[in-house]
Amino acid sequence: MRKVWAVIRREFVEKVRTKWFVISTILGPLFMISVTVLPSLLISRSGRVNHVALVDDGAGALAERLRTQLEASGRYVVNIVPAAAGRAAALEDSLTNAVRAETLDGVMSVSSATVESGKVEYRARNVSISDMGVLEGLLRQVIVTERLARAGVNAAVVQEAQRGINLQTERITKHGATGESAMVTFFLGYAVGIVLYMIILLYGINVMRSVLEEKQTRIIEVLVSSLRPFQLMLGKVIGVGGVGLFQFGIWGATGYLVVHFRTQILGAFHVSAEQIAAVTMPAISGTLLAVIAVYFVLGYLLYSSLFAVVGATVTADSEAQQAQQPVMMLLVFSLIVSFAALNDPAGQMALVTSMIPFSSPIIMPVRVATSDVPASQLALSLAISAATSVLVVWLAARVYRIGILMYGKRANLKELWRWAQQS
Amino acid sequence: MTDNNVVAIDRIAKRFADHVAVADLSLRVPRGAVYGLLGPNGAGKTTTIRMIMNITIPDEGTIELFGDRMGGRHHSARIGYLPEERGLYRKMRVRDMLVFLAEAKGVSRATGGAKADEWLRRLDLSEWGPRKVEELSKGMQQKVQFIGTMLHEPELLILDEPFSGLDPINQQVLRDIVVHLSRSGKTIIFSTHQMDVAEKICDHVCIIARGRKVLDGGLAEVKRVHGGTYVAVAFEDATAGAGAMRAVSDLVAAADDSGVFAELKLKDGVDPQTVLEQLMKTGVRIRRFERIEPSLNRIFLEKAGPEAASEAREASDA
Repeated sequence: MRKVWAVIRREFVEKVRTKWFVISTILGPLFMISVTVLPSLLISRSGRVNHVALVDDGAGALAERLRTQLEASGRYVVNIVPAAAGRAAALEDSLTNAVRAETLDGVMSVSSATVESGKVEYRARNVSISDMGVLEGLLRQVIVTERLARAGVNAAVVQEAQRGINLQTERITKHGATGESAMVTFFLGYAVGIVLYMIILLYGINVMRSVLEEKQTRIIEVLVSSLRPFQLMLGKVIGVGGVGLFQFGIWGATGYLVVHFRTQILGAFHVSAEQIAAVTMPAISGTLLAVIAVYFVLGYLLYSSLFAVVGATVTADSEAQQAQQPVMMLLVFSLIVSFAALNDPAGQMALVTSMIPFSSPIIMPVRVATSDVPASQLALSLAISAATSVLVVWLAARVYRIGILMYGKRANLKELWRWAQQS
Repeated sequence: MTDNNVVAIDRIAKRFADHVAVADLSLRVPRGAVYGLLGPNGAGKTTTIRMIMNITIPDEGTIELFGDRMGGRHHSARIGYLPEERGLYRKMRVRDMLVFLAEAKGVSRATGGAKADEWLRRLDLSEWGPRKVEELSKGMQQKVQFIGTMLHEPELLILDEPFSGLDPINQQVLRDIVVHLSRSGKTIIFSTHQMDVAEKICDHVCIIARGRKVLDGGLAEVKRVHGGTYVAVAFEDATAGAGAMRAVSDLVAAADDSGVFAELKLKDGVDPQTVLEQLMKTGVRIRRFERIEPSLNRIFLEKAGPEAASEAREASDA
């Protein structure tokens, strides 16, 4: 149909020309780059060496042992400052001032009671969670060793007991081990959920704005005297969706290039090659991409036609803000559930919500990204989703047809239902 | 003969929740006519036009366009429609907008573009083609929208209040185009509440008030059938004029008195000459005294009754 094509073309060209499109298209890859760069940057940042003063208030051998352990980690340079009896508090205060003046990174205090109480004080300008974890681990090791030694345990046995433990997680699919860690899989599922949510929401609201604009400018009268309302809505939904896919395509290509050339890109940020290699890139399979694309189309059809109805049934922007809430809630609900689904992708909650047509466009791709979804479940979910989308588009078109020519009072649900039934 | 009527409306009615917009309305628009749909605001003109355009559906009655009942949308390629509520995509460029409107009527992009350029040139808007609609003045936007109704060379133009909100110069420009299109054989329906405008360019009229037809037919015929003797009088001074009007009041059946100018309907059998003599006796200085045909406004006021008359006055004030 030439007329529908004209509508699609107009929506596409006009949307792509907007500042909004240009800005979000540029910001998207920037976001992706920062997501890839930041973790590596953060790791290299925390590799910085901390200068720590260790106040020794009669702790004896413990202080020396702590220094050895801390320095062995490669992250701390430790100076032991022996405190004269009764002067520990004053010494700590003056060192704290040094920390404040940034000539020191931190102050740690141990005393003769430390082995008994297990209490060690550490003061620093910023104590990150990872610093805390490292410190606590080291302290535990030193203090436990000291306690065991006091209890008369053989030093060799103690050393044997202290040998490192390293939990390696790996995701297993039917095709065998993927070589990705559970962390990377989690991150992938998380990203899939967020991206689908964002893009369905953004483009759904775009459809709503477009419908509302035609209504507000009254250009709708000229249009419906030339085209059937269904043709108009169809052209609009496809046109805006096309912009979404186009933007998706740009991002996808950029993302591929960024991942492919990440060594060069990160090199520009002075990140060393081994740090880059330390960040595992999730393997995105063709199946996953296909699932994401199909569910984007289904979810976008469903939600954009709902948003089209919202646009058609209101007259002012402020009304639209309010009227879009129920539709937004459905989407937000899906996103929230997707976090639960991430934790247990094969669980009851994930299973049910990946069948419900309003949440399946987000939940199912998340499940596919993080677990092995049986083909039968995928097929059922797709069938339900597709059937619902067709039904909702049909109903929406019927309401839209009446709504676009109505001005004034906002229609309630009962009226919308009556419009849908009108011939 | 259906063949000669581009539009044939039979007894249509449209009711909204709390009022009747159109009741029992029938009319025929002959091919090639310049047809004025006249009436005060709220008379049902726009509702009638919307029903012709298939935007709303009549509750009762039938509408035939080009001899069938397929409806306005089916024939949309043959119809150009300018709605009362003007609207364009504010962010679009003028030329793109026009091409899109042409495409929506089924015209190819190339033809639409050529037509748009031609019309923009004709209405002195060429330099505005690449600009955004929102940069244009209201008058220019209205001209652009007017162009949008003609790009696909429709046989039938339906213009809802086409001249409202335009300055006199642009009104004249559009009026000239309407006359030109009419001469080239197009049928034009336009609605207005300005009877004087209609009187100058229509050859057929239909006056409606409160949703009902008051009268319709060819302009000459309407005036002839309406009958009566009318004179137009102009005085040099409004106060003296008022005194003079009182002196002839027993000869006058109805007067449309605007101070220094008045249009009088004389009582049956009164000779205009007598009225002139009476006026002269009062010593008032007369600028003009002329026997005239009744104006459409006069006819409308008499036919539509006092209620419609007051509505019409409000409308022309607005």
